[in-house]
Amino acid sequence: MSSRETILEHIRRNTSQKYEYPAWEIQATDYADKISRFCDAVRLSGGEAVVLQETESLDDLVRRRFPEARHIASQMEGLACATTRPDELAAAQELDHTDVAVVEGQFGVAENGAVWIPQNVRHKVLYFIAEALVIVIDRESVVSHMHEAYRRLAGQDYAFGVFISGPSKTADIEQALVMGAHGARNCLVVLR
Amino acid sequence: MSTKHSKAAEKFLQDRTMAAWHNETLWMVRAKRDKMSREVPEWEELREKACQLKLYSNTHLAELLTEFEKNAAANGAVVHWAKDAEEYCGIIYDLLKSHHVARFVKSKSMLSEECGLDPFLAGKGIDVVETDLGERILQLMHLPPSHVVMPAIHIKREQVGRLFEEKMGAEKGNYDPTYLTHVARKNLRNIFLNADAAMTGANFAVASTGDIVVCTNEGNADMGTSCTPLHIAAFGIEKIVPDLNALGVFTRLLARSGTGQPVTSYTSHYRAPREGGEFHIIIVDNGRSKMLADPDHVKTLNCIRCGACMNTCPVYRRSGGYSYTYFIPGPIGINLGMAHDPERYADNVSACSLCLSCSNVCPVKVDLGEQIYKWRQKLKEIGKDNPEKRYLSAGMKALMDHPVLFNAALKAAPLVNAMPGFLKYNRLNAWGEGRDLPKFARESFNEMWKKHKIQGKEDRK
Ligand code: SF4
Repeated sequence: MSSRETILEHIRRNTSQKYEYPAWEIQATDYADKISRFCDAVRLSGGEAVVLQETESLDDLVRRRFPEARHIASQMEGLACATTRPDELAAAQELDHTDVAVVEGQFGVAENGAVWIPQNVRHKVLYFIAEALVIVIDRESVVSHMHEAYRRLAGQDYAFGVFISGPSKTADIEQALVMGAHGARNCLVVLR
Repeated sequence: MSTKHSKAAEKFLQDRTMAAWHNETLWMVRAKRDKMSREVPEWEELREKACQLKLYSNTHLAELLTEFEKNAAANGAVVHWAKDAEEYCGIIYDLLKSHHVARFVKSKSMLSEECGLDPFLAGKGIDVVETDLGERILQLMHLPPSHVVMPAIHIKREQVGRLFEEKMGAEKGNYDPTYLTHVARKNLRNIFLNADAAMTGANFAVASTGDIVVCTNEGNADMGTSCTPLHIAAFGIEKIVPDLNALGVFTRLLARSGTGQPVTSYTSHYRAPREGGEFHIIIVDNGRSKMLADPDHVKTLNCIRCGACMNTCPVYRRSGGYSYTYFIPGPIGINLGMAHDPERYADNVSACSLCLSCSNVCPVKVDLGEQIYKWRQKLKEIGKDNPEKRYLSAGMKALMDHPVLFNAALKAAPLVNAMPGFLKYNRLNAWGEGRDLPKFARESFNEMWKKHKIQGKEDRK
């Protein structure tokens, strides 16, 4: 008997009482002002969220916020400050030394400041390798909580996807919180 | 007769400053968890739903695992099954060998710890690098983790500083955590970029989609799997959840309970292999299916390894992870150890005050303290009870059952106050060891009540 069969056979033999699927819904908290709650939550996670003003373009914003950045990688349209088109690179490793990555997210989650990004670039390392990560989402896209978030994922086709909430962090040395363990040290969410 | 736990705890407590720090720091994490849970009005509903989802999943494992297998295969992943640790290690070794992997990066996985993967691969000449900062520190120090979420909680910054001076060329005497973390970032970045294969565990495996979900704060799982052509993910069968809606519940509970954050920085969903790469998934049993058969303890399979029961446990906080003989410490470790091998891990069941704080914080409602109590009742059956305590307990029972005897004993109790220490704390009194006897009141509550020294509510006006 294969291990697969052995395991399944043990499971069947040892399972006695069966429990029902809990189909009841959680009465989850909805936020009246999702955008401000989202911005607060991003701040709490160590990142920052800003609403893009009419007077400023995304390109201006990135230049203004990261005046010293030399390597800006983005696949987004109309971002003149981008120095690298990541999809044109053959190897993920070539994205090392990226100062700023500007990527598009699909929606934000108000309760915890997370943004869902289904892989929309060739090398997913782009979301993790840059010193600073800028995620752009539509301000109307913010949902209240993770229940709504996962309902939105139903039927979505992605090879990889990630909820990102703030910068990479660790507290593994004496519980002192440090940003930038392996991924981005800064995380800026732009609501356009 | 002292248990292995109490002896090890004694050693841990010798460094008083460190022991106090350990206790207070974990309590601080527990307090953060409390704050987070209070900000969510539907918190108890979430716990109840999470518990029911786990009970559903763990009693429909055959259906859910085969559904997962079908969907993962359709996504382009290759699914393997391992019935025990040996097979798990073997599958990984074969994959690494056939792909000519020399440099292998790993993100934190308690399953690999359980199955002894690192020492196994080291024996085969494969260089494994742990990439979670805490795990990396411990790997370089040749030490096991002492907590499931904060593996290096027992290590001081000076130790890390000296280690990094030696291993990563850090500057001498700089023990600043930010500096040291960034030294490790640079060092590991290089390793990520040059690795041949990456391994992750799984926090959740989604039956309806074939997703492997990994939650980290550091982003190490993602750095590894984004740079290498081969990703191996392994999970214990109890990590399966039915669908994405279930994740809505678990992701709201996991980090809030464990570290007091609303969610981890990264909640990564791995579905298909990287462009031109391969994605292998190993489903592991290693004793779990056996646990299904024990109705008293089946709920331990609910555990999502958040670590909250460790943070809250008064015994864990004051004795440290190394005091337990099973590789997972704290309340959940006591139970998992007993479920796997009761004879071998029986020492740990004494490491519990039955305060039940663990049961109250557990996000998936594992009845941790209640189960430990049940294990204690079974100690005699497995021949692991402490005979002295058994007689003491039997004596207690006789007193409780006979009020006259009980009252006589109470009257005599104050005499103990005057007894010299060697009579109270000797090798015959197993409870005196490691415990200060209470000071017995001169008058018992009963006597005081009779003499109207204590007033009832009505008399107080
Ligand atoms: S038993 Fe509960 S509290 Fe303890 S680690 Fe598991 S999920 Fe967390």
